[in-house]
Amino acid sequence: MSEISKRAVAGVGVLVLLALPFYATGFWLQSGLFAMAAVIGAIGLSLLTGTTGQLSLGHAFFLAVGAYGYVWLSGPAGAADGLTGLGLPPLLAFGLAVALTGLAGGLLSPIAGRLRGMYLGVATLALVFIGQHVMLNAHTVTGGYNGRSVPPMDLFGFALADASPQGLLVLGVPFGGLERLWYFGLALVALALLTARNLLRGRPGRALGAVRDSEVAAAVMGVPVARYRSAAFVVSCLYAGAGGALLALVFRRVVPETFGLVLSIDYLAMIVIGGLGSVGGAAAAAVLVTLLPQVLTGYADDLPLLARAGSGAAGPTPGEAARYLYGAAIVLVLTLAPQGLAGLTRRRPRKTLQEHTP
Amino acid sequence: MTAAAAELRVDGVTVRFAGLTALDEVSFTVAPGSIHALIGPNGAGKSTCFNVLSGVYRATEGSVHYDGRELTGLAPHRIAGIGVARTFQNIVLTAGTVADNLMLGRHGLTTAGFASTALRLPKAVREQRRHRERAYEIADFLGIAAHFEQPVGPLSYGDRKRVEIARALCMEPRLLLLDEPVAGMNPTERLAMAATIAAVRAELGISILIVEHDMGMVMRLADAVTVLDFGRRIADGTPESVQRDPAVIAAYLGQQQEQQKEESA
Amino acid sequence: MTKFAETVLNGLALGSVYALIALGFVVIFKASGVMNFAHGSILLLGGWTVTATHQAVGFPLAVLCGALAAGAAAGLLHALAARGLRGAEAPVLTILTIGVDLLLVTALNARIGPDFLSTGDPWGDAVARFGGVAVTQSRLAGIVVSVLLIGGVFALFRWSRWGLSMRAAAADQEAAALMGIRLHRVRLAAWCLAGALAAVAAVFLAAFPAPGLDRTTGQIALAAFPAAILGGMDSAVGALAGSLVIGLSSALAAGYQEQLSGLGTGLADVAPYLVMVLVLLVRPNGLFGSKELSRV
Repeated sequence: MSEISKRAVAGVGVLVLLALPFYATGFWLQSGLFAMAAVIGAIGLSLLTGTTGQLSLGHAFFLAVGAYGYVWLSGPAGAADGLTGLGLPPLLAFGLAVALTGLAGGLLSPIAGRLRGMYLGVATLALVFIGQHVMLNAHTVTGGYNGRSVPPMDLFGFALADASPQGLLVLGVPFGGLERLWYFGLALVALALLTARNLLRGRPGRALGAVRDSEVAAAVMGVPVARYRSAAFVVSCLYAGAGGALLALVFRRVVPETFGLVLSIDYLAMIVIGGLGSVGGAAAAAVLVTLLPQVLTGYADDLPLLARAGSGAAGPTPGEAARYLYGAAIVLVLTLAPQGLAGLTRRRPRKTLQEHTP
Repeated sequence: MTAAAAELRVDGVTVRFAGLTALDEVSFTVAPGSIHALIGPNGAGKSTCFNVLSGVYRATEGSVHYDGRELTGLAPHRIAGIGVARTFQNIVLTAGTVADNLMLGRHGLTTAGFASTALRLPKAVREQRRHRERAYEIADFLGIAAHFEQPVGPLSYGDRKRVEIARALCMEPRLLLLDEPVAGMNPTERLAMAATIAAVRAELGISILIVEHDMGMVMRLADAVTVLDFGRRIADGTPESVQRDPAVIAAYLGQQQEQQKEESA
Repeated sequence: MTKFAETVLNGLALGSVYALIALGFVVIFKASGVMNFAHGSILLLGGWTVTATHQAVGFPLAVLCGALAAGAAAGLLHALAARGLRGAEAPVLTILTIGVDLLLVTALNARIGPDFLSTGDPWGDAVARFGGVAVTQSRLAGIVVSVLLIGGVFALFRWSRWGLSMRAAAADQEAAALMGIRLHRVRLAAWCLAGALAAVAAVFLAAFPAPGLDRTTGQIALAAFPAAILGGMDSAVGALAGSLVIGLSSALAAGYQEQLSGLGTGLADVAPYLVMVLVLLVRPNGLFGSKELSRV
């Protein structure tokens, strides 16, 4: 595609996204918001695993820190159910939750800086299990097994929740909280994409790519390898924190079950399917991986070979089918088309994995 | 610009790996602004020596001083910061364009961090633009300006070697370590590379330590030569004196005989 | 004191079963440089094969079937990785094993369903007593079988042609290839062996006091990853030591959970991971790992 036609497609895409709340149903808006949260998280993992070559299976843990961090920071203090909270304004709580996730990543920098590649993968596996333990046991913060409800986002007195007391109408369309949250999510996604692209095109991105391609060459060129590995880890945590907090806002209730090992593997599937090292590819694959199970669930009756969950009929349930598809996608992409989705938009195949795709 | 070239002093450096002695009390001095060659048969310890000088390996014993500063024990990125740049025997470039690779060489000279880059703060944008101009000048100097925006993967072998040297020069080094810069090149490319190396010294006034097998090139270019064999220094001096040294002749003859044996086998 | 002795015995039993898994993990890593994240699902496949065949062929033959199935699956995975990704870097291969794990686990979970399956093992819930110390027979059997198998693997390493080739390949792949060692076969054998060991481990993970094999058995096996990392990944002896550390800490956390209640319930499940993170914070190369891991 030429540069001009690429821009035209992107422009039309942005217009469609902006107009969607006027046409789409609540189900699709909610699915879209899930996809946005996934896009932000996947960008973070892409910077860590794709660009820097550091495997992480702990992404679900950092999504959880962002989600629970937002809930606890904005949650009401001293409620009757024994839950604690700081009762901060939602927007402030959102920002602090992101910072908190970055801090959690920073605490692990002795590990994240010194372990390379796959070693970090196993070490971060631990975070998922430790995180589950904490979520289930730290009742006053997390609400334990049943989780706790999420205070809605509120921008300058505008509640971004489902029940809108004012009954705002825009162009004749009732504009509830979900519609408003949609624009909040869009803004976050745009910010995440832009910052990631800038990072990759600038000095830090080049240093991270060098750390992945050759640790020795990077060091000899003056890059402090351990410091950049830790930095990549912290940056990926910041994105995970934002993705997790948005996820919480969409779910409106956070429970430990959401943030298991399966979620980490979903994110890994996203960046592999997108093409390792490509931020744009990771974002596209995040949408695909999030929406696929929703679509499969929504149309289970119409699709051949699928059984409804719990129906006892033969054939895989939509969740299982989605799992088979990601697993197969990881295997096929890695063995046949290592550039993933990012490879589709390129005219000429390149030798390397790293790409600066807008 | 950077400070003037200084003296590199290697003093009794010994490197042992699991009982194997790769370098055995090697000493030599690279005079400021000179081209100094490090030669020897395969496995003589030349690359090990480079790895010690750039901080990739740690010397078991001995010391390396540059401009009065002790380099042994420093991390590679600190040694880079002092003004020592190197290339690799087997080309090690990172993914991306020629410009990306050269800009990596500017890493230590630039300061843009994660936040200012992510937000495209004017300071970071200006810095990137300024250093990119300098990187283009260096690419031009090495004759690869035409490929500046192209990915490095598909470039010819000779051009990739040049990218590596340009990347090292982008660090504005005071001492340049070149590991077999003409290996695998045809005679025409070799001549061009020799002219480039001479021009680098003439224009930038930096010291160059070069590992090379091509004796003709070493004799033409070098001001001084150190010869290693089995990890030990067997000769040190001007190209003429080294060429006449019986120990050097024996070491090289021995290798030639071995090669002939291999070829006839 | 009796309780402490019982807890330590349980820890040793658990550790010796983890050692079977961790050893396989390390053998694969030494041979191919890949961390096999599909090891848990290969273990589950081995265990499930035992549950599916024991009624027809009896327990001993069923274990053999399980070992063969898991060994074959591991071998297939190696073939896929080696052929599809010639020359690819080990981290990419590692991610590939995660994809395979996802496929295998989903398929097995659909077969296993929500039930606990019996492996038909002969020990049942029988308990042996030494003085006042009670220990289940299945755990004793686990220790004995693990010690025998691990001893066998070490003997293979030490004295067989394959072991020699393995060690040569782990030390220097290019040199080994030049010496005429067929790397592909050496590696294939390593993967198959590791799969078979995992199948045996599955039988003991499903034995009493566990209620049988279920979907989570593969996840329990993940605790062997910390064991291998603790040992330093490239050290077989380290994997054994790491397994014992993990087994003991897990058993102690379970045995003294009332005293440790301040740290929350279910501590035994996360103890292996906590121990790993704490050790790595202090020693990033593990307890026995070679220093080279973090060179430069």
